[in-house]
Amino acid sequence: MRKILLGIAITSMLFTSCSSDDDSTNQNNSVEAPVTYKFMRDGKSTVSFAGQTTRIKMAMELRSALGDNSKTAADLQGMFAHIEGKSDFSDADLNASDKSIRSKVGASKDYFAANTTGSNKIKSLMDSWIEEQATTVFASWNAIATAGTAGQLQQAGGGKMRYVNGKGLELDQAVSKTLIGGLMIDQMLNHYLSTSVLDESSNIADNDNGVLNEGKFYTTMEHKWDEAYGYLYGNEIDPSTPILNADSFLNTYLKQVDSDVDFAGTASSVYDALKLGRAAIVAKNYKVRDEQIQIIREKISKVPAVRAVHYLQEGKTKMAAGDTAGAFHALSEAYGFINSLQFTRQPNDKVPYFTHVEVTAFMEDLMAGNGFWEVKPETLDAMASLIAAKFGFTVDAAAN
Amino acid sequence: MIKKIILFSVLTLIMACSSSDDSKGGSTDDFNRSALLINLADNIIIPAYKDFGPKLTTLKDAIEAFVETPNQSNLDTARNKWLTAYKAWQHVEMFNIGKAESLNEYYYFINIYPVTVSDIENGVTTGTYDLNTPNYHDAQGFPALDYLLNGVATDDAGILAKFSSDAKAQGYKKYLTDVINQMDDLTQQVIADWTSGYRDQFVNSTQNTATSSLNKFVNDYIFYYEKGLRANKIGIPAGIFSTNPLPEKVEGYYNQEVSKLLTLEALNAVQDVFNGKAFNGSETGASFKTYLEYLKVDRDGKNLSAIINTQYDLARTKIEGLNSNFSQQVISDNSKMTEAYDALQKAVVYLKLDMVQAFNISVDYVDADGD
Repeated sequence: MRKILLGIAITSMLFTSCSSDDDSTNQNNSVEAPVTYKFMRDGKSTVSFAGQTTRIKMAMELRSALGDNSKTAADLQGMFAHIEGKSDFSDADLNASDKSIRSKVGASKDYFAANTTGSNKIKSLMDSWIEEQATTVFASWNAIATAGTAGQLQQAGGGKMRYVNGKGLELDQAVSKTLIGGLMIDQMLNHYLSTSVLDESSNIADNDNGVLNEGKFYTTMEHKWDEAYGYLYGNEIDPSTPILNADSFLNTYLKQVDSDVDFAGTASSVYDALKLGRAAIVAKNYKVRDEQIQIIREKISKVPAVRAVHYLQEGKTKMAAGDTAGAFHALSEAYGFINSLQFTRQPNDKVPYFTHVEVTAFMEDLMAGNGFWEVKPETLDAMASLIAAKFGFTVDAAAN
Repeated sequence: MIKKIILFSVLTLIMACSSSDDSKGGSTDDFNRSALLINLADNIIIPAYKDFGPKLTTLKDAIEAFVETPNQSNLDTARNKWLTAYKAWQHVEMFNIGKAESLNEYYYFINIYPVTVSDIENGVTTGTYDLNTPNYHDAQGFPALDYLLNGVATDDAGILAKFSSDAKAQGYKKYLTDVINQMDDLTQQVIADWTSGYRDQFVNSTQNTATSSLNKFVNDYIFYYEKGLRANKIGIPAGIFSTNPLPEKVEGYYNQEVSKLLTLEALNAVQDVFNGKAFNGSETGASFKTYLEYLKVDRDGKNLSAIINTQYDLARTKIEGLNSNFSQQVISDNSKMTEAYDALQKAVVYLKLDMVQAFNISVDYVDADGD
C-alpha cells in the first residue's frame, strides 16, 4: 500500500516537474477522482454497463445449474452459449438478451483477436467440462467416488458433499474459476482497458471534442472504461459504491484476497484507480488514465494468483489431514484459478504472467494419472512456489 | 531449521525497521506460562478425560447389554448412560490438541450433528460402511447413538422392534455396536496419550510460537467456543447462518429434551477453563484469567477478565431462559435463541481480539470455507 502511494507520489512529482515544457495541453489538465464512481453530463449519468451485469447474472445461473443433477448437458450448454430468445435461464430478462457467456470467453482484442485458435481451445475445454459434468458426474451423483470413478465425497466433520469426476476434480469449480480469468479478467484487462479498444478509431478525438454516442450521454472511450468496471462490479446492488461479495466471481475473490492481511488494500487500490482513470478520461488526460491501467492490471492479475497458491496449499494441508473431499475441493478451485492465470496482464507489457502453454502444463501435472487422487504434495508445493515467485509474493503470504 | 531461524530473524529485523508502532514484535512477557499449562493439564484436562473415559465405558456396557437383550429396561439404562457420558463429553470437546488433533480431529468421530440418517440406514441395510472415512463423520458418535436409541422409530415399542423383530435387527445391532466401539477405542487412545508422555510435552512447550502449547490451546479454546458452542449449539438452529431457522439441527435432536442441558454444561466447562478452576473441586490456579490480570488488560477501566466472566454469565442467564428443547424454542420464539446467540457472540470479540492480542498470540484459523 505504502509502495503504491509512494509510486503515485513519485509519478505525479515527475509529471509535475516535466509538464511545464510539454506542449500537449491535455496533459496539464488536473484530474481529481470523485468520491464514488459517479460521472454526470448535463445532469445525466454517463455510466453504463448493462451487458456486463447480464453476463455475470448468466454466469451465476450457470454456476448453480452445474450443481443441479436434474439438468441435462443441453440445458447447461444452453446457459453457457445462450441464444437470444431461448428459455435457458430462470430470469426472463436473461432469456431475452442477445448476450452470451461463451462468446466472450478468451475474446479480448489484445490476446485473442489474432489468436482465435487459442480462444477456441479454451472454449472447447470448457464445453468438455460442462458435458462431462452432466453425462458423468450427474450420472454418478449418489455413488461414492473412488480413484478413476466419479461420485460424491463428504468433507470431514460432517462438511459439504463434493461431487467429483474420476480424477477428483469438481468440474463446476473448474468452470467457475476459469470464468474469473477467461471472461472477467480477460475482458477487463486485455480488452476494455487496452488502448487498442479505448483509443480505437476516432475515440480520442471524439472524447476530446465531447462527441457522444448516438442517443447516449457518454463518449465511446468513457463507455469502454465503464464496461471494464462492469465486469468487476456489475452485480453490486449499487455499483458506484461497491461492497464486494456481490457475485461468485472476480468481485468476491478480490474481496477474499483483500481480506488477507498480506494483501490488504488491494480492493481499494483497484477501485481508486478505476475512479481516477475514468476521471482522467473526462479530463482528457490520457497519461493519468494509462497509469491507472497499469495499477489495475497488476492488482487484478494478483487475484487468481493469490487464490491459486492459497488453494494449492489448502489442498496439501487437507490431504495430510485425511480430508479427501476438502482437499479435492481446494485443488479444484486451484485448478480453475491456475487456468485463469493465462488471462492476467503484466503492467507495461502485452503478456500474461503465465502463458497458455505454461498453465496447460500445470493443469496436466495436476490431472496426470488419477489426478487429485495421486498428486504429490511436492508437486503442489513446487507449483505454488513458481506462481508466487512470478507475482512477487510468498507462498506463506497467500496460504493463510 | 537453522535456515528458518535466520529467515525469522531477518523478518523480525525487517519488521522492526519498517514498523512504526511500539509493539513488542514477537517477544513475550514474563508471565509463567508453564504454571498455566501445568494447571490446565493436571487439574482440568486430564481429570476431565478421566471422568469422561469411564462414563463412556459404562455407556458401552449398557449398549452391549441392550444389544444382547433389547428390552425397555436396557433401553432406559443405555439412554441414561448416554446422557451421563454426553454431559462429560462437553468438558473435553474443546481440547483438540495432541492425540485428539492427530487423529484428524477426534471430535469428528464423537459429536458431529445433525446426523445423516440415510448414511446410517444405508449402513444398517448393506453392512458396508467405514466409520473411519469422512463420509461417516456425521453418522457416528453421540448423535448417531441419539438417533439409534431415540429416533429410529416413533415410539419405544417401535425402537425395541428395530433391534429385535425387525428384518434388519442384526444390522442395527452391528451399527450401534460399531459406533460405541469406535468412540471407546478413540477415547482410550486420547487418554493413554495424555497419561503416557504427552502431558510433559504439553507443559514443557512454553515458547510463543505458532506450534507452542499455549498458542495452540488458546486457538482451540476460542475455536471451540465460536464453532462448537456458539454456532453449532445455538447459532445454526437459530438460522444465524441460513435463510431460515433449522430446528432439526440442535444437539440431541432425537432425545428432544437435552439440548439446553448440554449447552449449559459446555458453557460451564468453557468458563471453568477460563478461570483455571479444577475439574474436581472449586480451587482455581493459573489461567487465562490470571494471565489477563497479570498483564493488567483493562477495557473502560475494568479488567478484561472480569468483562469476559460477566459476559459468560449474561449468556448463561439467556440460555437458562430457553426451552429445554432448543428445537421447540426455535419454533415457538426464535428471538430468544438469537438473544442467547448475541450474548455468546459478544464474548467472541473479547476473546478473539482483545485476549489474543494481550497474550501476543495469533489466531490460526479462518472463519468460513466459502463455497
